[in-house]
Amino acid sequence: MTGAGWSYVEAAAGLLGAMEREVVLGDLAESEDGAWRGLKDVLGLAARRHLELWANWRPWAASFGLALPASLFLMGCSVATSRGFDGLLDGPVTVSLLGIALSKILLLICWAWMAGFAVGAISRQTLWASALACCAPCLFCLSKWPGDWVSTSRLLWFLAPALWGVWRGRQKARLGLEFALFLAATAMLVPMMLDIGGWYGLGLLWPGWFLVAKARRMSEPT
Amino acid sequence: MLGEFEYLILSAAANLGDEAYGAAMRSAIETTAGRACSLGALYTTLDRLEAKGLVDTWMGEPTQQRGGRARRMVRVTGEGSRAAREFYDAVTRISRGTAWADGRAGDLPGDPA
Repeated sequence: MTGAGWSYVEAAAGLLGAMEREVVLGDLAESEDGAWRGLKDVLGLAARRHLELWANWRPWAASFGLALPASLFLMGCSVATSRGFDGLLDGPVTVSLLGIALSKILLLICWAWMAGFAVGAISRQTLWASALACCAPCLFCLSKWPGDWVSTSRLLWFLAPALWGVWRGRQKARLGLEFALFLAATAMLVPMMLDIGGWYGLGLLWPGWFLVAKARRMSEPT
Repeated sequence: MLGEFEYLILSAAANLGDEAYGAAMRSAIETTAGRACSLGALYTTLDRLEAKGLVDTWMGEPTQQRGGRARRMVRVTGEGSRAAREFYDAVTRISRGTAWADGRAGDLPGDPA
C-alpha cells in the first residue's frame, strides 16, 4: 500500500471507526487490489455506515425536529433580546430595564444551550446534518433581508451558546437531573418573557423534557 | 430465511473455517461464486448476521502481510449453520425439475431456440 492513490484511501478510511479502519486497511493491503478499488471499497462502506444511522429516529429528530425549527425560533429570540438592549441605549438606564434585558439574554443563553446540548447528545454522528438544518433558515433570512453587520449579528446571538451546548452534548450526552429540570423549566419562560413564538415555541420544549427524562432514567437505581 | 448474499457469506466462512476473515471471504466469494463483493457489502452483511446470532466475530492478531493490522475473524454459529441448511434445502427443492438443475443443455427457458 504505497503511492499517492493509497494516501487517498487512507485519508478516506478516516471516515470509518478506528477498529473498522484497521480491519479494512488490512484487508486492502492483503488483497493487493488497486488503489481505485480500495477507495471505492472504503467510501462505499463509509456511505453504508452513515446511511445505517438514518434508520434510527435520532438523526431525524436532531436535524429536522430540533435544529431546523429551533434556529428559526432562536433567530426571533435573538432579535427580541437585542431589542431589550436598544431600550437601554435609547433612554435612561433603570434597574428594572437592565434587569429585564439581562434576564432576557440569560433566557436566550439557556434555551440555545439546551437546544444545542440536545442536538449534540441525541445524534453525535450526524452533526453535519443538524448544522445544515440550522444554517439553512439562517442563510435564507440573511439573503432575504440583507442588512448591515449589526442587524445581521442580532439574528445570530443564539449561535455561540448553541455551539457551546453542542460541544458539551457531544462530550457528555446527559445532564444531572437538577440541571436538566432547571433548563427545561427556564426554557418554558422564553416564549412568555420574550413574547415570541407562542405555541411554536412551546412545541419546541421537547428537548428540555427529553433531557430531563434521560437524566431521570440514568439516575434511577438499577 | 436468509438472503442470497447472506448465504454466500455463511458458506464462505464455513468453508474457510479458522481462516475466515474479511479479505479471505471476499476472495472466496469472488472466485467461487463469480460475483463482485465490496467490503462495504461484506461488513454490513456480517454485522447483520452477527446481530441475528448467525455468526460470531472478533478481532484477530495483526499480521505482517497486512502491514501489522488486525483481522476481523468470523465463525458460523450453530444457528447460522441451521439457517444456511434451511436456505440450501429450499433452493434445492425449488430447483428440482428445472432445466438448469437437471443439466439439460440447450433446453433453458428463455433461450433462443
